[in-house]
Amino acid sequence: MIISGQNLSKSYKSIKALDNVSVTCAAGEIVGVVGANGSGKSTLFKILLKVMKPDSGTVTINSKRKKPIGGIIEKPALYEYLNAYGNLKIFASIQGLETNNQFFLDCLTKVGLPIDRKDPVRNFSMGMKQRLGIAIALLNNPECVILDEPFSGLDPIGITSLKNLIIDLAEKEGLAVFISSHILDELNKICHKLNVLKNGKLIHSGTTQELINESTFAFNITAPNIMSSSILKTHKASFKNNQAYVNVGTDKISELIKELHRENIHITSCVPEVNMNKMFEN
Amino acid sequence: MKNLIIAEVHKLFKQGKTYYAIGAIFLIELIILFSAYSQGQSVLDILLDNLKKSFYFEGNLLNGNLLIYLILNTLWFHLPLILIIIISGSVTSEYKDRTLLSIMLQPISKWKFILSKYIVGILFTLVIVFFLAITSFLFSYGVFGQGDLIVYLDTLNFFEASDALYRIKHAFIFGAISMVFYSIVSITIAIILEETTKTWIAAAFFLIISNILLKVNFNNYFLDNWLYVKLTDTWQYLFYFEIPWGKIYWNTSLLIVYSAVTMIVGIIIFNKKDIA
Repeated sequence: MIISGQNLSKSYKSIKALDNVSVTCAAGEIVGVVGANGSGKSTLFKILLKVMKPDSGTVTINSKRKKPIGGIIEKPALYEYLNAYGNLKIFASIQGLETNNQFFLDCLTKVGLPIDRKDPVRNFSMGMKQRLGIAIALLNNPECVILDEPFSGLDPIGITSLKNLIIDLAEKEGLAVFISSHILDELNKICHKLNVLKNGKLIHSGTTQELINESTFAFNITAPNIMSSSILKTHKASFKNNQAYVNVGTDKISELIKELHRENIHITSCVPEVNMNKMFEN
Repeated sequence: MKNLIIAEVHKLFKQGKTYYAIGAIFLIELIILFSAYSQGQSVLDILLDNLKKSFYFEGNLLNGNLLIYLILNTLWFHLPLILIIIISGSVTSEYKDRTLLSIMLQPISKWKFILSKYIVGILFTLVIVFFLAITSFLFSYGVFGQGDLIVYLDTLNFFEASDALYRIKHAFIFGAISMVFYSIVSITIAIILEETTKTWIAAAFFLIISNILLKVNFNNYFLDNWLYVKLTDTWQYLFYFEIPWGKIYWNTSLLIVYSAVTMIVGIIIFNKKDIA
């Protein structure tokens, strides 16, 4: 394990923001933290990043690097009056990094930022700011990065692009990545494990596949001739254009697809519908 | 530490508000000079009408030294107010923009970071007072020339031009220490309150209260000699006929101790705080 938080608790006055939460993340692993607003995600991340002290519990980081962990909390916080290069320079210089122009160009290129933008970052899109935030988090080669809501405010292209960057960081560079998002669909595509927080408590924890399977109650099946399926009618599916919405769990979907194949239904997509209420239930 | 200080200086001079502050100081100087140029002589004539019948004054009393003394009086309120706004802003803007969180996510110690803020705040204050001194000398001597200085402190005091220059130079030095005190207080208030407007209000309130209490005679040895408000006007003692050097050194030493204590308190508070 690169990072481990054990039995973490934190209270703000009368509110228990985090209640005996334990999480871990290994090298090359992407671990998601899901929860509604106020569930304790940001508090957990601030404690893991050691900018906030827990009331109880411990954070262990197994790294001998000067900067074992980097991250972004809620949204990238940058010096808006400086350009991307200036921001990187400030954050690199305060930690005593030996840098040159090529170093900064490499940093910008690594996160897919243009190297020719010289204007202040206040003119940047949210996606570009997120990327610059990640570039700053990656300065000094941490072994773990924590990204709190990195997809918020991004358009679909920005989300896809950022997802690919995060996957690359984990798979190619072996970083341990903790990530939170409201967008469960995005997390379940990239995370190896998921942790679900509710009112400061860890209510579910496991592999993404396990949790998604447990909370999937229906599927959206798309096929050009879907309306001709008789098996779907026996499942009381509802139809719209070339789509059928059918209430089956993950344990029965495989059998249903086989039967649709036997009916010569040419499936082009099959998307699970996750019951968010079930996911967030104790 | 050196890297943190350089980064703080870089940030300070990359922000437009720093130049607005310098511009404001420059403008105040020009307004004082313009007022003196347009009305100063008639005011002086009224004030000294009786004295001129009994004494002979060498040269023009509306001269550079008097103008520098008038500019020096911005140390009461105008200059510390501008310094408070700029220097506390270097902390509150980091809270507001959440860059403080980004900084704390890097492998640097909290106390070193906030100490660098204090050090840069002190250096900036000294530079600003130096800037005020240099420009006031240049403008005042350039426009009005040198001459004897007349100052009213309990009574009218007259100083020859060379003596006046000596006193004004030292007044700027001891005034700078008072300004440093206000700057340090403003950073500590910023650490406690975090929010910009609240910090400005609290720091300006502190300045106003200090100026009011300065005029109060407490008739109590401790309050009249140890209370910080009685130490911030030490630069004025340079314009007494006999300079009370003992009192000046005592006040300055005590104010430096108070500044150091305020800074240490700020560092301790910052270290204990979570970065939300």
